[in-house]
Amino acid sequence: MSTTLKRVHGYLAEFDSVKDLYHAAEQVRDAGYQRWDVHSPFPIHGMDTAMGNPRSKLPIFVFCGGITGTAIAFILQTITQTNFWSHIGLGFLQKIVEAYPTVVQGKPTDIWTLPAFFPVMFELTILFSAFTTLFGLLALIGLPRWNHPLFASKNFPKFSDDGFFVCIEARDPKFSQEGTKSLLEKAGGKNIELVEDEL
Amino acid sequence: MSHHVTFNDLPQGGEKFEPAKGGKIIGALGLVGVLGLIASAFFFFTKTDTFAYSWLFAVFFTFTFVVGGCFWILLHSASNSSWGVAVRRIWENLANMILALGIFAAPLLLPQVQKPLYEWMNHHREAAVHAHHDHTTVKEALHHMSVENPHLHALVSKYGYMNLNTWFSWYTRFFLYFLILWHIARTLRNKSLKQEQDGDIKHTIAARQFSCRWLLFYALTVTFAAYDWLVGLDYLWFSTMWGVYIFAGCAWASMGLTILVITWLRGLGYMKKVVTDEHYHLMGKLLFAFTVFWAYIAFSQYFLIWYANITEETRFYLIRNTDGWRWVSIFIVIGHFVGPFLLLLSQPRKKNPVVVSLVCLWILFMHLVDIYWNVIPERGPSLGIGVWVPGAWVQDLAALCAVFGSMGFLYLRGLAKYSLYPWRDPRLIESVNVIN
Repeated sequence: MSTTLKRVHGYLAEFDSVKDLYHAAEQVRDAGYQRWDVHSPFPIHGMDTAMGNPRSKLPIFVFCGGITGTAIAFILQTITQTNFWSHIGLGFLQKIVEAYPTVVQGKPTDIWTLPAFFPVMFELTILFSAFTTLFGLLALIGLPRWNHPLFASKNFPKFSDDGFFVCIEARDPKFSQEGTKSLLEKAGGKNIELVEDEL
Repeated sequence: MSHHVTFNDLPQGGEKFEPAKGGKIIGALGLVGVLGLIASAFFFFTKTDTFAYSWLFAVFFTFTFVVGGCFWILLHSASNSSWGVAVRRIWENLANMILALGIFAAPLLLPQVQKPLYEWMNHHREAAVHAHHDHTTVKEALHHMSVENPHLHALVSKYGYMNLNTWFSWYTRFFLYFLILWHIARTLRNKSLKQEQDGDIKHTIAARQFSCRWLLFYALTVTFAAYDWLVGLDYLWFSTMWGVYIFAGCAWASMGLTILVITWLRGLGYMKKVVTDEHYHLMGKLLFAFTVFWAYIAFSQYFLIWYANITEETRFYLIRNTDGWRWVSIFIVIGHFVGPFLLLLSQPRKKNPVVVSLVCLWILFMHLVDIYWNVIPERGPSLGIGVWVPGAWVQDLAALCAVFGSMGFLYLRGLAKYSLYPWRDPRLIESVNVIN
């Protein structure tokens, strides 16, 4: 009958409280594991330090996204409504849009009409930052996905209610069937189980 | 969490500041203050007209810090936050400088000082003479005067607010501002000090209730004070953004000053255990927020006036966007917003006391430029001297040294009076161990 192939995902251990989870995280971090995570129903202050997580790369993406928004708003508005680009020797850019010039609002045509463009520059900065934040975050955490191997565990659904878990994945170079299990036991883990992913 | 501080780790009775330890800076401020006061007295009697602007600038600049300190304790209590308990006493002391500042602001009550500053008062005083002579009211006399000078119609319309002789006159409000700020500052510090006797949480709760009620009066005070003292320089001008604009600068600069004072105290060996880099991060975030908020408000004000292009309104920016002041305006955009924005953007810089303190020094300087740019450009045109008044910067410097130096001296010495942090506040430990 069942000849399904299975792959070991990792060890899942349950902890009684935030405090236990926090200290367990410190021990796993100090043991040098890389591919592991903790699961709790709510965010825990200081868990990043306890896990030894490096700073997220997301702010760098968001900064670049924001700058892109500002630049796009600046370029599009100044090309169509000022003579700035001709003045710095890039008049051909303005030639491109001369088919549909927007000479409106009786503003001056030099670069000092810039304040009129600030609202759009501001809005596009926000919009692009927000988009990079959302999509950058989804990309970094690997969402959306259809399923997660940990859902195979009967015990795991408690993570969204009152369960505190540490999961050390098998793809971690330090992972070993005996060593990892004893580390989790030593850290005070309960209901330690080997979670297997159906292929 | 690794260095969880408990009540027993902190000294009993809090930490008392000994002024002798910080003698260098305190002494320097005192010396600067005394020299400034001597120079100010000289300029006051010899160059009253131009010096009135210098004095207004210096008093208002110092006023913004006191008002900002008042805001931070109000916000801290009203929002029921615990992180700021460790640094609250610094704000309490800052806000309580309001009485000393009242002495420095008192010259603004003198008609000789008001004459060059507030043109509308001169018209009102003239109208009062006419009214006395013709047995009419001041308002009617103003109305008659506006036949000759049509600008005065604005003063007739604004009579309900801008006047010198009703129960809600400029003078009444002047005293009310100091009274309200003093009441807020004194009450909140008294509650905080009483808590040091019994350690009861009821004082925290009472402070919260008090703050929620008085935030409204605080907001009105700052707004109206900003109108009376600065917008009044040109009675035709108006801007609904003005109060918020000044308030944003107050909160920004006083947070900058707080960080500097705390860094200085830590350098002298105080507050080492109660203030951590997490506090620097929190204060840095608020500093960053107000950098953006100030820019948002400042730009809103500029943008609406620039686009609407109404004569009475544009005058404010016309004198500040022409001749040399144009470069000051551009400098403010870059130095007041772009620079601090980029510098405070990243977390490690906000957490580093040295870096954030250097940024704060820059912030104090930019706030000085901002207030200078708001007050001084009015001087030349109003007195009919031209755009720049030659050599008047010496008077500005003298006034600044006199007011800011003396107030700084009094403030830093005053820190010694009480513990540097509310050591029996039940939430002190929560604040000391804060993680964000």
